[in-house]
Amino acid sequence: MRINPIYRQESRAGARSFKLPLIILGFNSVLAVVALLYMNSMITRVQLTAEIQYSSFLGLYGFVATMEFVLLLFIIPGLTAGVISGERERQTLDLMLTTRLKASDIVIGKLVQGLSTVFLLIVSSFPILALVFIYGGVTVADVGLLLLCYVVTAVLLGSAGLFCSAAARRSTIATVAAYSVVVLLTAGTLVANYLADGLGEMASAGGGAPAGWPMYLLLWNPAATFQTVLSGQIGSESGLAPIFPQLERIADMGLIGRYWWPVSMAVQILLAAVFLAGAVRKTRPAGRGRR
Amino acid sequence: MLRIENLTKVFGRAVALDGLNMTVEPGALYGFVGPNGAGKTTTIKTLIGLLAPDDGRVLVNGIDVVREPERVMARIGYVPDVFGVYDNLKVSEYMEFFASCYGLAGLKARKRSQMLLEQVGLDDKADFYVEGLSRGMQQRLCLARALIHNPPILIMDEPTAGLDPRTRYEFKEILKELQSQGKTILISSHILPELAEICSDIGVIDQGRMVFEGSMEEILAQINVASPLLISVSGNRDKALKLLREHPEVETVTIREEEIAVGFSGDRKDEQALLKQLVTEGVNVYGFVRERGNLESVFMQITDHSDGEVVLIHED
Repeated sequence: MRINPIYRQESRAGARSFKLPLIILGFNSVLAVVALLYMNSMITRVQLTAEIQYSSFLGLYGFVATMEFVLLLFIIPGLTAGVISGERERQTLDLMLTTRLKASDIVIGKLVQGLSTVFLLIVSSFPILALVFIYGGVTVADVGLLLLCYVVTAVLLGSAGLFCSAAARRSTIATVAAYSVVVLLTAGTLVANYLADGLGEMASAGGGAPAGWPMYLLLWNPAATFQTVLSGQIGSESGLAPIFPQLERIADMGLIGRYWWPVSMAVQILLAAVFLAGAVRKTRPAGRGRR
Repeated sequence: MLRIENLTKVFGRAVALDGLNMTVEPGALYGFVGPNGAGKTTTIKTLIGLLAPDDGRVLVNGIDVVREPERVMARIGYVPDVFGVYDNLKVSEYMEFFASCYGLAGLKARKRSQMLLEQVGLDDKADFYVEGLSRGMQQRLCLARALIHNPPILIMDEPTAGLDPRTRYEFKEILKELQSQGKTILISSHILPELAEICSDIGVIDQGRMVFEGSMEEILAQINVASPLLISVSGNRDKALKLLREHPEVETVTIREEEIAVGFSGDRKDEQALLKQLVTEGVNVYGFVRERGNLESVFMQITDHSDGEVVLIHED
């Protein structure tokens, strides 16, 4: 099987760098400290009240999972936003484009390399998430679904970062643009819903707003997908629920509402494909395939 | 064979290439010369498919670069003016990476890589990190990289810029060897004399147009035409000056101590006729030779944009 040359080269160079071990150490240290502090507070409460609340352990799972998701939101654009613009800055992109490699080979190689780092982070954090198995309440399938949610988020944000990297001439601009896309997808779609809710409430004089079209914007929002998955596993009060009150209304949305997380994951994969196609287009030299 | 037909490229309002025509014959070592900003790099980037022409055609062995870039890339090796460095990559790994970009892998790639590193004198540096090599070594590595897929055509954009004289000499020797192996080489520079020693053909570009294209013999003949005739006479200098001023091919006449420097537009036959006329008219000519010109002055002359007018200068 032919391995993508870009992926192989990046992996080889990456393996010699201190960057990857440092990211893994930092990522898991934050998660581990959070998990240990949470456990410590639970145990302290048990010592004071002599009452064990098993639901607290589900809270630990929700808290660590949310923390991991937020960390991924910060890490993924940083991992992918400079990969193509960096090649351009080093003047190595032209060298690659004059080989038999296609622009799509370069983009896919860079994406796979970025995602492999994210997968490494996700897999390495699994033992921390697995703390919840000591007390039960969450199945392996639930954790698997959560990991799938992380992977879809990684593909979406990684593709967005690559698009920004291919479109921008400088890595700094690409990084700013990539984080802007993350903000637009997560906070932007949410703010649009808050605005729609506010307008709806004003229109119906406080009678409650129905699920309007802005709700469909949340299908693009990886945080909304994550919250839906988490709510389905440990209850609707968990994780990011306080900032996503709109998600309580998805049941009113018929078939899409019933299959919210699979539909939203499909929408996000589709959006990732659009970003990737854009990245390939931006990476390809202007002179190729024009006629 | 490389062929550029009526190539035009415009960036905004700036015309980078203005109907450029160029032909590089198979096996030629073609020097592509022009002042900074003349359009050399734009031409090269269009040749290797990194820029789209606004008009005209670029053909590599008869294949259109715009229509079939993949086929063209398999036939071209490209050496840019700036060497892009990959962090944390050794020389051998750098070569194997680019081999894999051309679909070469395993033992075949390693053997080809070793052979090329030997050819450019870097075989003892195979385990060194690329970023630790000197600029000259990096440029030689870049040349080896460009040859990894054994392309028949090599395109180099000012590869010797910033190199010390010894490295330049070594680089030129490698190019001569590659030419002897049958490679077609296009090398750009803004210094004509630098290419004169090795090139079989020269193309001079200025303001996006080809202002001179031909063999080195032709450009050397141009040097002769551009340089003045130095005539030494004894005794009847006034008669000689009178005859020279009346001659239709004489453009300028300058007296330099013992010699008369004559700006003469004629060819070898005209020179012979002039000498014969002077002798027949009774002028004692004891010296008649073209001043040794240089490529730099020809280059300056070809790429001079000022509208100079021909004047006869008579200094007594």
